[in-house]
Amino acid sequence: MINAVLVFNNNGQPRLTKFYTQLDTSVQQRLLSEIFTLVSARPASSCNFLPLPPLLAPNSTNTTTTTTTKPTTPEHNDAPSLVTYRHYATLYFILISTSTESPLALLDLIQVFVEALDRLFENVCELDLIFNFEVLHAVLGEMIVGGVVVETGLEKIVEGVRGQGRVAKRPVNERSGPGLGQGIWIGR
Amino acid sequence: MFEKDIYQLIRGLRSHKGNERAYILQSLAECRREIKTSDMDAKATALLKLVYLEMFGHDMSWASFNVLEVMSSAKYVQKRVGYLAAVQSFRPETEVLMLAENLLKKDLGSSDKGTIGLVLGTLPHVVDPNMAGSMLGDLLSRLSHSSPAIRKKTVVTLYRLALVYPETLRPAWPKIKDRLLDENEDPSVTAAIVNVVCELGWRRPQDFLSLAPRLFELLTAGGNNWMAIKIIKLFSTLTPLEPRLVKKLLPPLTSIIKTTPAMSLLYECINGIIQGGIMEAAEGTTEGDEIARLCVNKLRAMLVVEGDPNLRYVALLAFAKITASHADIVAQHQDVILECIDDGDISIRTRALDLVVGMINASNLQIVVERLLKQLKTAGKASAVSDPSNDRAAHDGIEPMADDDDEEMQQTIKPKAQKPAQAPPLPNDYRASVIERILEMCSHETYANMTDFEWYIGVLIELVKQCPAASTTGSFGRHSGSLAKETTSIADAVGNELLNVAVRVKAVRPDAAAAAQSLLLIESREALFPASSNGGQGVLSAAAFVAGEYAGMLPNPEAVLTSLLDPSSAQLPAHALASYIQTIPKIVVALTSDQSSPWSSTRQSNTVLLLARVVHFLEPLTLHPNLDVQERAVEYLDLMRLASEAAANQQTSDSPGEYAEPPLLLTQAIPSLFTGMELNPVALVALRKVPQPEELDLETPINGNLHMLLQQAEYDTDFDDSAGEMYRFYHEKPVAVAIDHARPAADLLEPPGTSRTSSYQDAETEPLDRETSDKRKAERRARYQDDPYYIDSERASGSSTPMHNILRQTNGEELDVDAIPVMELQLDSKDTVTDVGRPATQRAPSTKKPKRHFEITRDESLGDDELPTIGASPAKASIPRGKKSLLEVDSSGLSTLSLVDDVARTGASQLEVERRHAEEEEMAKAIKEVERLRLEMQRAQERIQPHDMPEEGTVVRRKKKKPRIEALGGELSAPPDGAGDGEVTVKKRKKKKTPDNGNGETSLAEKAADAEDGSAIASKPKKKKKRQVTFDEGGEPE
Repeated sequence: MINAVLVFNNNGQPRLTKFYTQLDTSVQQRLLSEIFTLVSARPASSCNFLPLPPLLAPNSTNTTTTTTTKPTTPEHNDAPSLVTYRHYATLYFILISTSTESPLALLDLIQVFVEALDRLFENVCELDLIFNFEVLHAVLGEMIVGGVVVETGLEKIVEGVRGQGRVAKRPVNERSGPGLGQGIWIGR
Repeated sequence: MFEKDIYQLIRGLRSHKGNERAYILQSLAECRREIKTSDMDAKATALLKLVYLEMFGHDMSWASFNVLEVMSSAKYVQKRVGYLAAVQSFRPETEVLMLAENLLKKDLGSSDKGTIGLVLGTLPHVVDPNMAGSMLGDLLSRLSHSSPAIRKKTVVTLYRLALVYPETLRPAWPKIKDRLLDENEDPSVTAAIVNVVCELGWRRPQDFLSLAPRLFELLTAGGNNWMAIKIIKLFSTLTPLEPRLVKKLLPPLTSIIKTTPAMSLLYECINGIIQGGIMEAAEGTTEGDEIARLCVNKLRAMLVVEGDPNLRYVALLAFAKITASHADIVAQHQDVILECIDDGDISIRTRALDLVVGMINASNLQIVVERLLKQLKTAGKASAVSDPSNDRAAHDGIEPMADDDDEEMQQTIKPKAQKPAQAPPLPNDYRASVIERILEMCSHETYANMTDFEWYIGVLIELVKQCPAASTTGSFGRHSGSLAKETTSIADAVGNELLNVAVRVKAVRPDAAAAAQSLLLIESREALFPASSNGGQGVLSAAAFVAGEYAGMLPNPEAVLTSLLDPSSAQLPAHALASYIQTIPKIVVALTSDQSSPWSSTRQSNTVLLLARVVHFLEPLTLHPNLDVQERAVEYLDLMRLASEAAANQQTSDSPGEYAEPPLLLTQAIPSLFTGMELNPVALVALRKVPQPEELDLETPINGNLHMLLQQAEYDTDFDDSAGEMYRFYHEKPVAVAIDHARPAADLLEPPGTSRTSSYQDAETEPLDRETSDKRKAERRARYQDDPYYIDSERASGSSTPMHNILRQTNGEELDVDAIPVMELQLDSKDTVTDVGRPATQRAPSTKKPKRHFEITRDESLGDDELPTIGASPAKASIPRGKKSLLEVDSSGLSTLSLVDDVARTGASQLEVERRHAEEEEMAKAIKEVERLRLEMQRAQERIQPHDMPEEGTVVRRKKKKPRIEALGGELSAPPDGAGDGEVTVKKRKKKKTPDNGNGETSLAEKAADAEDGSAIASKPKKKKKRQVTFDEGGEPE
């Protein structure tokens, strides 16, 4: 299952935090900054999978004892083991998940998430998400409930969010510019 | 209205650059005020602002009751804010949860899809076992809701309920299963169910075998890649239980691999085939061979494909899963895998590193290790500053910064940071993990893959240079650490390996000693341990130990001693220094104990000089803060002074023909302190296997009078005099007192006539075959006959050791040491494995040099090689589970719950749920009945007294009460048709009398307009007034 969804910008400013377990606010912030530290250090050519941040890493004393040759015990499936991210323009989208999720499929899931946002905001950019973070939550709520993916179809997601009410564009007096949208297609 | 709305807050944040903190604090204070108003809009806005600030780490748990208030709002927009706030801010200790239960139930029963959706999205975040039990019934009915969106969310919510309250599944699973099997079900609901089944599946795969046909159908139907991936993942847990599935799955999986355009699906097919053991299961058949070839080729292609690092990463993951069963297949692709070790991306590197550890064998060990070494050498060392982990503090608290550049936020593509041209410095933890892995690979199964130990020692020396600067903690070799330390640095691990090799492989001891020397020499210190990084220093203590233990093999003991005695050594960490102090006398012995050459005056002066240097070095250390160092320094200082005195007083002879004895203290007494026992590796569990002797009584006090004695002692030390003695003992420098024993104490241990030399001699030549080794063993046995620590299999433990004699003489015959049973060690069969005894396969010929045999000493142990002793120790046993990972959702509760149709049990629990349902219904009925009766009575009353009282008297009083209640609930105007509770019924009834069907406000206006109606004139203005009053009351702030 998916344990957390995070969105933050190039400076580590959070734009969306969603944890599918109840977690202290301070711990959430620590995790956020640890992941930001990891992710911001990665060059563009790297893959989209992060090593586990220190907070999530299994007890450091038994890292060497659990070698890959050992058969993974069922218990491992409960612990988050995968941090997947994608970088679009100024934003990082992060998914923390257990091993029951497929890494490549999670990348597609992030893509669907961003495409849905793009559809709703028409050329979405970071400002849209800052001012409409409720919509961001709504889109996520249509895709993931309690850490389990309920929908991956773009149409259904957009329809579900629109069904909940009008989606506002960002306030008019904010300058508008080219969106995140074009970035999607170039995004890795 | 002066409140800020959320846009204003965000804009304010963006414009208050530099003093965001003050602005936030001010905003928080405003929110605190606003959230207390009775104005629902203001409340909801304030809450939304709090949620926004919570994202930046500002706790809002204090507002949990307000969250509840907003959740209960009738307006969807406000309700949504309330539910969002609940998801984001409720924590396990949030207390208002109990209060939320009824609200959640009510909203779950709402006719509005959006409202139901809010509840379904929120429940997984807040649910606890109690709530799960009571919500279950309501949720189950949502499974048959007309909207697919509600149904799919309900399925998932039920799953989360089951995680905290496994009983959920008893009534829920049959329904979910029916939904899954229903072919007319909306595909997105089916997909959601498959997701849930996949989550449930790995816990109890056997329960889901019956679903296989339907899942197979869904897989072949195609259409939804996400679902197909989940099904494949589920099948990979099912195939081990049902081998027949393999044959069925092969054709569709093969066709997907060949045709799908989706890389994720392709990869998961391969992954499923690997994980499900399909490769093994289908081995031998043509399809099986085909698919194995197909998978491995695809994986290889993923590794070499240009431009997609993600594929490389996942391919490595998949390869790593094959290594356990098909290490040979993986090793065939060694070339491409090794490429990945040098990948610029640390994630890929780490995966590759994990993988190579698994695929190592005797023939590729050196290639792999050398490759890794090269990587370590070429990449610059990360300085402590550039280490991201040190940088972490800077990111500790995230402040919502005023965004400096709006352009950037709207920018489409940010030019990506340029990749540095030269290899970036390796992060320290990666560096440490590489070294750890090298050690792990080399020492795997007591050096099973090692063919060239000289090479290995070279590698170890190189590794010391590559140790990361900051001492990162690793656990490798912790148990074999010679001194108790809190943390073990990676350099310690390297040192332990050096020690291990020196002890276990006699043939390379000279090399190991030479290596130790090169590490210790003061001239090379600058090169090996530059002042900027103290990373490698951990190796020094092990190196010193090797140099001391095998001092006779040091190429240049004088130089080593000089380095050890260098004043800078005193600045070393305590554990290294302690080891140094232990080493110094050993090397001194090696230098001075020569018995054959005569005691000339040159030799005398050299010896005295040497000893004086040692004394000079040790003297300041007797005041060292570390107790271990202090103790050793004090001990050896006295010994060295003694030796120095003996050397100075010994008669010399300089004429060539004359032979003068060197002092016995130097040639025999001191050497005997350090020689005698061969060091052997002992298994961790060996000590525990020594049975406790039956006669050993640990209960009876040795001296019954102990209490008295202690009291006496306490009384005695009360005098100042003795305190002075204590002071002297601890604070005054020890004076070198010449001990006037006739013989050194060590001589007591020395059986007369036996002059033993060092035990190293048997290591000088290596045993060539079993015969010589046997002969050696016999010799050794004879030599060690009197050694109390030498345990031999072919005789009972030492019966006439000098130690024993001494004991016997002083203790009399009461204590019979021989009677303590000591289990025999079987040296021949297990502990010393020679090459002859080894299977030939383990010993692949080295390509580099002629095959050389190495004898690797195995751990000594007693009795059978039972391993569980380690696992059984409580400390170790707890480690695998460890503490729960941070984000982990524990699903272990599910593993005990069977989903197979266990008629009796499911029947019973269904009954229970039904009973609960029935109870609830009954209660609802009863409430309705009461209400109905009350209304009837009311009507009757009205009928009885139509003339005496104002017609609407009672009703109006009710009315007055009612809006107030609703105002509390956050609503001014009553909803047109509320949920059938008493008051509304009353109102409806009243409305019938005044025939207008608008809600309160409009009907009032109409009524005011109708005022000319004569008959109503008396009552209506009155009624209007009453209403007005009630509204005012409702609007008042409370």
